[in-house]
Amino acid sequence: MHYVMRCASFAAVVLLALCSSADAIFETRDARLQAVRTVGIISAVGDQFTFARGGLTGPDNGGRSLPIPSWDLDDMIVQQATATLSGRFQVQRVTYDRAAFAAIKESPIKPVALVRGDPFKKLVESQVSPQGLDAYIVITKAKANFGGGNRKIEGVGLITYATVMESYSFVYALYEIRVIDGKTFDVIEKMAADPLDNAAEVRLGGPSRLTDESLSRPSDSGPDDSLRKAIVDLIDQSLPVTLSDMHLR
Amino acid sequence: MNLAAEARLRCCGRGASRIFLAAWLAASSAIAVVCDRASAQTAFSLPAPPLELPFLPPVSGGWTVMIGAEGTSTPDFEGAKGSRFSPVPIFSIRRAGSADQFRSPRDSASIALIDFGDFRAGPAGKFVSSRKADNYSGLNGLGDVNAAFELGGFIEYFPLDWFRLRNETRQGFGGHHGVVSDFSADFIVPVTRALTISAGPRFTWESTKATAPYFGIDAVQAMASGLPQFDAKGGAHSAGAGVQVKYRINPQWEVHSYVEYDRLLGDAANSPLVTLRGSVNQTTVGVGASYSFDVRIR
Repeated sequence: MHYVMRCASFAAVVLLALCSSADAIFETRDARLQAVRTVGIISAVGDQFTFARGGLTGPDNGGRSLPIPSWDLDDMIVQQATATLSGRFQVQRVTYDRAAFAAIKESPIKPVALVRGDPFKKLVESQVSPQGLDAYIVITKAKANFGGGNRKIEGVGLITYATVMESYSFVYALYEIRVIDGKTFDVIEKMAADPLDNAAEVRLGGPSRLTDESLSRPSDSGPDDSLRKAIVDLIDQSLPVTLSDMHLR
Repeated sequence: MNLAAEARLRCCGRGASRIFLAAWLAASSAIAVVCDRASAQTAFSLPAPPLELPFLPPVSGGWTVMIGAEGTSTPDFEGAKGSRFSPVPIFSIRRAGSADQFRSPRDSASIALIDFGDFRAGPAGKFVSSRKADNYSGLNGLGDVNAAFELGGFIEYFPLDWFRLRNETRQGFGGHHGVVSDFSADFIVPVTRALTISAGPRFTWESTKATAPYFGIDAVQAMASGLPQFDAKGGAHSAGAGVQVKYRINPQWEVHSYVEYDRLLGDAANSPLVTLRGSVNQTTVGVGASYSFDVRIR
């Protein structure tokens, strides 16, 4: 009887301890976002456009990247995110070193990436001005696998995939969004943009759509305006949905 | 974030598994009917869970769920002459749009902790079901071999988008305590955007401790079975080839089929269990269908 009573007492103490700390341990990201009033938006997605080839190709299919500073994609992303978030947050303009954010690569060795922590935390702490906002929303390039092999693509670009019978091209805008706490610099939330709801037989792990194969040949003057329009359209359609999925609007 | 979680459920056995397959097919059909077949739009939205674990990424966003069933014909036991039919349910869940990466029927469950794109490596594990002497007349007198877990790692390399080299090396626990090393190469040929054919050679090496429990015959077993005593040693275990065909009918439905052939080598082939009661030719055939739909968690 004593043993049963002792066990019951112990269970009650453990239960009480769990209840009192559950809010802290299992605090949802929504709850953390409730406290956020002021945010700054950083975008480093659109510095270059990549033409890649996949599927039945030779060994030299590494792709060709062309700079696209004239597209002003990052300014457009900041403007659109600002317009989307202004209803809920007070969005403040921030200055930052865009190239430093665009240059960050996650380690391909996942345990190393876990130990090292999120690479954007330090950049936000050291490269963004002003400091002291409640949160910073950081929009950067994302990666996705494509095809049956292990081909990876990143950022914005166009991939042409060759099969025995046909080849087809996808234009894509792959990006991910982090919400970083402005005081602790912890990542409150991180999410990659999902593919658009389209009925394509083949899909990418992010906003993308099939496109005219004639666009797949890069010219010396860089990607043409129709590609820019396609990329802008993908971002226009996907950014509000992604921000909504992150419970930011 | 390209987090993909995938689980493939496999069950063996006869009567129970047929009932399970029927239930699984019924459930799959019901879900397939409920979901809008004509489009790849999100089938339905679910609310976000009330709790989140701090070390896991958020579940909000789009997910692709795949359900289906596969029928496989496999040898009754390794080295057997006859084969048995096993239904296998298929279930996987991954981030919407993330590529359904190439997977050979031989691949064990694995996670890529190192991923350079063309080179991947990580832990791998396999469950080897028990071998019950009562189930097959060819095993009379040989006693049971317990189920084994094989844990180890894999490395794979894609020198080209359409060519994969893979090795898995695993240490056994339970039914055997040896080392198994599987080598494979696969040519992955996309014929159209809907049809993919892959094929390639296979080779397996096993240590003595991995071979002996299944192919060795000790004095007691020899007396009970009538087979001659045999001391099975490790080495080259089998060589063969596999071919797989996948056809995506529409964004939701996909059918697949595969044949894997192995010829036993070394002491596995020389064991009296194989020479007198079994066969060195081991063939596995599978046919299956799956249905995919998107779920959005808000």
